[in-house]
Amino acid sequence: MKISVYRYHPETDSKPHMQTFEIEERPGMMLREALLEIKVQDETFAFRHSCGEGVCGSDGMNVNGRNCLACITPIAELKQPIEVRPFPGRPVVRDLVVDMSQFYEQYRNVQPYLVRKDPLPEQEILQSPADREKLDGLYECILCGCCSTSCPSFWWNPDKFHGPAALLQSWRFLADSRDQATDERLDDLEGPYKLFRCHTIMNCVEVCPKGLNPTKAIGHIKDLMLERSV
Amino acid sequence: MSRQASGLKAWVVQRVTAVYLGLFATYLALVFLVLTPADHAALLAWVRAPLVTLGLLLFIPVLLAHAWVGIRDVYMDYINAIGARVVALALTAFVLLGAGLWAMQAIILAQLH
Repeated sequence: MKISVYRYHPETDSKPHMQTFEIEERPGMMLREALLEIKVQDETFAFRHSCGEGVCGSDGMNVNGRNCLACITPIAELKQPIEVRPFPGRPVVRDLVVDMSQFYEQYRNVQPYLVRKDPLPEQEILQSPADREKLDGLYECILCGCCSTSCPSFWWNPDKFHGPAALLQSWRFLADSRDQATDERLDDLEGPYKLFRCHTIMNCVEVCPKGLNPTKAIGHIKDLMLERSV
Repeated sequence: MSRQASGLKAWVVQRVTAVYLGLFATYLALVFLVLTPADHAALLAWVRAPLVTLGLLLFIPVLLAHAWVGIRDVYMDYINAIGARVVALALTAFVLLGAGLWAMQAIILAQLH
């Protein structure tokens, strides 16, 4: 089986190139294992990975034109020859390793933590089962970056547009009955960039390895904003 | 927010205008495809019908507002250099305004014929 991978070493290469490797396919093989085989053949090949079961979100990459997590992508489901590239739109550090700083910066910008104004109770802040249910489909995000780096709006304005991953988390805290900074959060999202660069292209929904729906979350934020402004 | 172009307002304007544009464009398509005015006089008579005049007069600013938000979005996405963006926005504003005013006067003149 042939796998063509993106190679770029900024210290030795003047420009990136694709390199093809021959790998022996095993039944049930995931792409991550194939990339590890490549690393056996050429130890200078670099890619991020850790848990190997779609939990840590380290091995996001662009495979045959689509962002995915290598560790939960079966080789058998990929059209050959397989073409593996780094996330689109991100600066390449080396081979498949990209610089995700802007992605994390945008995540930081939405204040992804509970904000309380009331004095904190002695024990936990209680929440009804119905309120807790509102967080389903939001809290599961592992911040792999597949969604934001497949979003054209994030490609064009990664410094200003929060991107689907950060906005999903923004809604996760807006929807949380225990959070008390709804107005501040909404005010922070005003303007044409942070939230409103989303044109409901829905690439994010298409690629999310966890099956989450950032576009829907963004729609909820817009609705809530409208509700609070008229 | 005072330093920024609008986000929520532009979004709402585009959604709301889309509803009117969708309905009125359907009506326009029906008129010209099914009840096609036979000649210039018939067209003038159609424009002069009070409800049609009102509909057309409303259609133009609504269309311009919708187009403005849409084109502004395209420029924000694709034109990064601030100078080029301002020039593009200004030119677009002039073209839209010019086209809108011209269409308005055409509708008003039709009343006087």
